[in-house]
Amino acid sequence: MAGRAIQQGVKQVKPILSTNHAEAKRRVLNLYKAWYRHVPYVVKDFDVPITVKQGREKLRELFMKNKHVTDIRTIDLLVIKGQMDLVETAGIWKQRPHIMMYFQDTVNPRPPGFLEKFYEGHDP
Amino acid sequence: MLRLWPLRQAVSAAGLRLMPVACNKSTAAQPAPELVEVFVNDKQVFVEPGTTVLQACAAAGVEIPRFCYHDRLSIAGNCRMCLVEVERSPKPVASCAMPVMKGMKVKTDSPMTKKAREGVMEFLLMNHPLDCPICDQGGECDLQDQSMNFGSDRSRFTDNAFAGKRAVEDKNVGPLIKTIMTRCIHCTRCIRFASEVAGVEDLGTTGRGNEMQVGTYVEKMFKSELSGNIIDLCPVGALTSKPYAFTTRPWETRKIESIDVMDALGSNIVVSMRTNEVMRILPRMNEEVNEEWISDKTRFAYDGLKRQRLTTPFVKNQDGQLVQCDWETAFMAIVQRLGSVEGNQIGAVAGGLVDAEALTALKDLLNRLGCENLCTEESFPMDGAGTDLRSNYLLNSTIAGVEEADVLLLVGTNPRFEAPVFNARIRKSWIHNDLRVALLGAPVDLTYEYDHLGDSTAELQELASGSHPFSKVLQSAKRPMVVVGSSALQRSDGAALLSTVSTLANGLHTKSGADKEWRVLNVLQRVASQAAALDLGYKAGVSAILETKPQVLYLLGADEGAVDREDLPEDAFIIYQGHHGDLGAQMADVILPGAAYTEKDGTYVNTEGRAQLTRQAVTPPGMARNDWKIIRALSELLGTTLPFDKLQGLRQRMGEISPTLVRVGRAEQANFFQQAVKAEKSGGVVLSKDPLIPPQQTLKDFYMTDSISRASPTMAKCVQAATEAETAKY
Repeated sequence: MAGRAIQQGVKQVKPILSTNHAEAKRRVLNLYKAWYRHVPYVVKDFDVPITVKQGREKLRELFMKNKHVTDIRTIDLLVIKGQMDLVETAGIWKQRPHIMMYFQDTVNPRPPGFLEKFYEGHDP
Repeated sequence: MLRLWPLRQAVSAAGLRLMPVACNKSTAAQPAPELVEVFVNDKQVFVEPGTTVLQACAAAGVEIPRFCYHDRLSIAGNCRMCLVEVERSPKPVASCAMPVMKGMKVKTDSPMTKKAREGVMEFLLMNHPLDCPICDQGGECDLQDQSMNFGSDRSRFTDNAFAGKRAVEDKNVGPLIKTIMTRCIHCTRCIRFASEVAGVEDLGTTGRGNEMQVGTYVEKMFKSELSGNIIDLCPVGALTSKPYAFTTRPWETRKIESIDVMDALGSNIVVSMRTNEVMRILPRMNEEVNEEWISDKTRFAYDGLKRQRLTTPFVKNQDGQLVQCDWETAFMAIVQRLGSVEGNQIGAVAGGLVDAEALTALKDLLNRLGCENLCTEESFPMDGAGTDLRSNYLLNSTIAGVEEADVLLLVGTNPRFEAPVFNARIRKSWIHNDLRVALLGAPVDLTYEYDHLGDSTAELQELASGSHPFSKVLQSAKRPMVVVGSSALQRSDGAALLSTVSTLANGLHTKSGADKEWRVLNVLQRVASQAAALDLGYKAGVSAILETKPQVLYLLGADEGAVDREDLPEDAFIIYQGHHGDLGAQMADVILPGAAYTEKDGTYVNTEGRAQLTRQAVTPPGMARNDWKIIRALSELLGTTLPFDKLQGLRQRMGEISPTLVRVGRAEQANFFQQAVKAEKSGGVVLSKDPLIPPQQTLKDFYMTDSISRASPTMAKCVQAATEAETAKY
């Protein structure tokens, strides 16, 4: 049993797209550039109340949110999801609220205690 | 119309007795009646002789379209929609009125049946306006549905002379029911309901043929406490709800199954909700409680839930003015005061609309603070066994049990207005089972005949000793039933009254030879919370509060003014928790806004001891919160946190106190009648000479009895209309 577990631990996983970190990084940067170039069109197409600068700041923020990810397969997956998102945005398959979802305020976590919940709302 | 019951009454009055009908359940073994074989679309079914073709078809799983036929009403057979083909019968037969015969072969989708239905439908629609888009019945209309299913796809009706369709003048029958009589298809369900169930012979027909009209003959109010049910019975939009007119369509609303709290019966209801508002209330079928009827107060008082509501906490400032505040401020004011008094200086009064959850939470909280002074606003004699024995304060025979009784004695009660649906059940037994009813108390119109035994307590004593002329009837009864009203027990001699009645009831039980399971003594409560409060160990009545004069008084929905500020010390601190700004809120120092019965999941125990659940239909308005949660939050601030913060935990606690509170839907039987009588003999109160007069005597007294119905504009209109109707010519 133990031998098998070790075997599984060192087993080579099949790459999704990239075979090494440099390749994965290139994909991320390409996606970032594509989005960066598209932000002005987003502002125009969807008529959202944000400036291009704000959009690019948000773009950077969203990319930086995943900067801790080191696993190549995870990076690839995130890139694929980002690409799908871009396609949906560029094709205007989305609607305005979907764009504004990126800018929504941070949701406060539910308070833990009964009393706090009681003060906050109807359904603790 | 098949109306046999006046004949039945006449026969029984003449000293003859007809054979008891099927609903008179006897425990004696009866020979099984031979079943009749019937074929419905070549499917063989066996039914009891005397059932109708329509019922036989239902047994075979075939539903016949109908307009005039209704399970709980007599058979009229005048709409002709239920025509079916029967083999070897030259014409199609009206299945609702035709009894089955041996070997009958019914065909429900033969060409003849279909043609008959299409023909009937065509005639009905010829005289029916095409105003479905502006009709309130649209979407729940039998005529709409059945014309889609069984009608023809084209009509031969052409208005060649441009004379217009048949039109009928609308009638004004009061503030609850809107009539658009042009839509009427003359099924006569409303007329039969009025004369059979409601017992008010106000509705009828005039004219015949095309000139036939349903109405009240002269313009007057339909004076019944059950009048709203004809809205449900009407298969078309001829009778619709006036307060609900043009508000919602049935497919827009969400329906929540709940329980009514306007009286102690706990009628099952469906609350229709849209956009966080209660749009209307309809009855829900429960054979054991309300069948399918509800009273007008249950149905129409919902608009009181939107008015006079408490939406924020209030605290009294230095000038003695109540000012709005947030929850923390209100709680801090309470904590400051409650922390500085002894437990025995606290008192609590629970009102009539409070759920068992809030009652449990409040009792647990105050008991932890060392207070035992928890009372209900509705009083009840506490002498002798008092409320220690459950059988003393419940309707032990159960509501459905009236149908098995043969003699019923009502003491100091007017069930017609204290429990309208129960009264309809008594009337049903009076019609079908030859139930003999006697009334001791002020003579009131109960919608059925009764022997009036007088209104003083002297007659009650005569009955108990067996010297009254009516005692013979009572003692010869096989299944006697005695119902005493809770209002009668609130007199100063209530204890003596209860002991006399229970002695009488026990004597009758022995005399009748009924089995042990049969209960004779019944108490008819008037408010929804009473049975649960007494189950939980609340003291009945506020006499304990008036004696101890507590420094702090906690009013939990107590709005009837049983305790006044004058009854308390000068600097007494009054906390009011409830949903309406009524009497209790007016005298409070701190107001905590709670939830009404449509806004919380609550347990209510009805007068027969049946725990039932209300379901939350809408959220409480503004900053109002669920009642038990308010008490739970307060307990945390007082430093005696109650050990539950979820409903399940609270229900578990309720189950520990009394398992009957969590056995939802079951009427738990109570026992120890003889022990109760023994305990009561030690009491020494004497019966007073005052006559027994129930507080609600005429229809105008019925509509406004609690904080919700007092806030309801519809109920106010009803009171006005009923008052005017008293002096009306007709």
